[in-house]
Amino acid sequence: MKRFGWLAVVLLSLGLLSGCGSTPKGGADDQAGADGSGGRGVGRLGGSSSSLDDPSRRGGAGAYRYDVNVEPEHRVYFDYNSALINDKSAQVLAHNAGWILAHRPKVQITIEGHCDERGTREFNLALGQQRADAVVRFLVGQGMEAGRLKAVSYGKERPLVPSHDDSAWSKNRRGEIVLR
Amino acid sequence: MKMVLMTCLRPVGSAGGPPVRAMLRLHLWLALLVGIGLLGNGSAWAGVRIDITKGGLSPLPIAIPAFVNLSGAGQIQESGVMGSQISEVITADLERSGLFRPISRSAFLQMPDTLWRTGPQFREWRLIGAEAVTSGAVRQEGDQVVVDFFLYDVFQGTLIGKGKRFSASSRNWRHVAHRVADEIYTRLTGETGYFTSRIAYVTQKGENKKIAMMDQDGANRIELTQGNNLVLTPRFSPNGDHLFYMSYETGAPRIFRLDLLNGSSHLQGDYPGLNSAPSWSPDGSRMAFTLSMDGNPEIYVKTLSSGHLTRMTNHTAIDTSPSWSPDGQKLVFNSDRAGSPQLYVMSAAGGEPKRITFEGTYNAAPSWSPRGDLIAFVHGGGGRFRIAVATPEGKNMRVLTDSWMDESPTWSPNGRVILFSRQKGSQSQLYSIDLTGYNERLVSVGGDSDGSDPSWSPLIR
Repeated sequence: MKRFGWLAVVLLSLGLLSGCGSTPKGGADDQAGADGSGGRGVGRLGGSSSSLDDPSRRGGAGAYRYDVNVEPEHRVYFDYNSALINDKSAQVLAHNAGWILAHRPKVQITIEGHCDERGTREFNLALGQQRADAVVRFLVGQGMEAGRLKAVSYGKERPLVPSHDDSAWSKNRRGEIVLR
Repeated sequence: MKMVLMTCLRPVGSAGGPPVRAMLRLHLWLALLVGIGLLGNGSAWAGVRIDITKGGLSPLPIAIPAFVNLSGAGQIQESGVMGSQISEVITADLERSGLFRPISRSAFLQMPDTLWRTGPQFREWRLIGAEAVTSGAVRQEGDQVVVDFFLYDVFQGTLIGKGKRFSASSRNWRHVAHRVADEIYTRLTGETGYFTSRIAYVTQKGENKKIAMMDQDGANRIELTQGNNLVLTPRFSPNGDHLFYMSYETGAPRIFRLDLLNGSSHLQGDYPGLNSAPSWSPDGSRMAFTLSMDGNPEIYVKTLSSGHLTRMTNHTAIDTSPSWSPDGQKLVFNSDRAGSPQLYVMSAAGGEPKRITFEGTYNAAPSWSPRGDLIAFVHGGGGRFRIAVATPEGKNMRVLTDSWMDESPTWSPNGRVILFSRQKGSQSQLYSIDLTGYNERLVSVGGDSDGSDPSWSPLIR
């Protein structure tokens, strides 16, 4: 289940870069990869044939719309005990991929996986790794080179918000995209 | 009131108790078969004794007067303080176990020096309600401290066992006291003591986490890492002279092996992704741990001498937190392959894991008792995480603690006491609890420091 859900999101996003300004190389590959996928929104992606060398183009015709010249929040959030990239996070990650490819084409990137404080230390380290790995796979699906990305889990060791309620926990269950 | 689920209680089994001990005025009211080798261990003496196969913990009144200080010629010296300090350490050990109630020194009618010279005036110890009394002496021999001690049954008016002598270098005088406490514990309960042991843990002050170690009673605290890097989950080797722990000093979670004798630390492999949850095999030759390099966290076993790596699990879910059975034949770990984290047991030779927990939505961080009869773990439900025990088949689960976020259970070397960490708000401290669910105690890590991730050493002798 998890895997297929993730796959659908990636397939959804594959054609996106073509519509929102990416490096020409990555964009071309991704566009080809989108063919034949059965996810929702794929049909609309077919209409997105904008120029790949125009990083200022606002949004695409696909599922993800963003301004590639606006730096995105380098952070996505997860549901409790889940490493699944939800729709909101997919949007943010797509924006990150587009922006990084356009504006930070060389930097090494660490993807940190974090958890809320509930549950055991070791389980959360594993869950944080799954989250970081899921973000890496998504970004690679958006055309980023796997060699630039490194997944590191911090489990529940580095909360963003140091309080102990649902609001804090929802912000602490996150993936961080750290540009070096 | 502690949470002790009554369903777990089994009657005292076929071991056949000792004769009714009229003098043992313990009001034991929960029968809980937890003792191994306690009943009928062949002792000729049938006097005062704690039956710790029973729960409820009505502690045994015991008198532990100051040990007398002897000169090199064997004369009692009025001036020494070591004898008093040693009896204080023994007193604290026994009291903290929950099985003994040391009587206040101010109640004593017989002074330590006459006790040592002439033996107990049993009538005077009976008057203050003591059921056992110790008599001891300490002297210096070069740089050694030498302790002689005797244990008496007050109501029978007899020695319990023989006198015994312990010695160690003077700076390790507390160790000698712990040896005496172990001896008293063993003679009165039939189980091995656990006072000559240490606790490794993570100490935190501000943002810095460091690996630290202390005696089981909180004395002799020492920090083992500098605090420059995040460190987690120290784990004692079976002989107590090494630790595995996790550190981020390379920028990623990796396992290191710390030699406690010389302080050196070495990376134990640098596999891509997560390297976590180290656990020594009981013979010390292998490490079970977690690696994510195959796409998600799986359990592996590494032979330490050769570096040979064996993958134990193969599932798209999280598999982590392995712990060995004391015979080294099995591993227990947690996996969320059924949708939530649950405990599974598998052969250490490989094969299909068998799920053993079915109650609750979160069962994790298992720790197999050194006696083999129980597994302690974190039991989550209703938004709370508490320490529980169950048999290796998953039967007779009992929840021992009652807080919001308890985790990292680790066993005393005799399998009697569970140490764990408890988070309250943003603070974390170490606690111990008897496996009956009684006698929960804070184990101080000192001052304003936090403590977490405890690992209880084997006996250090």
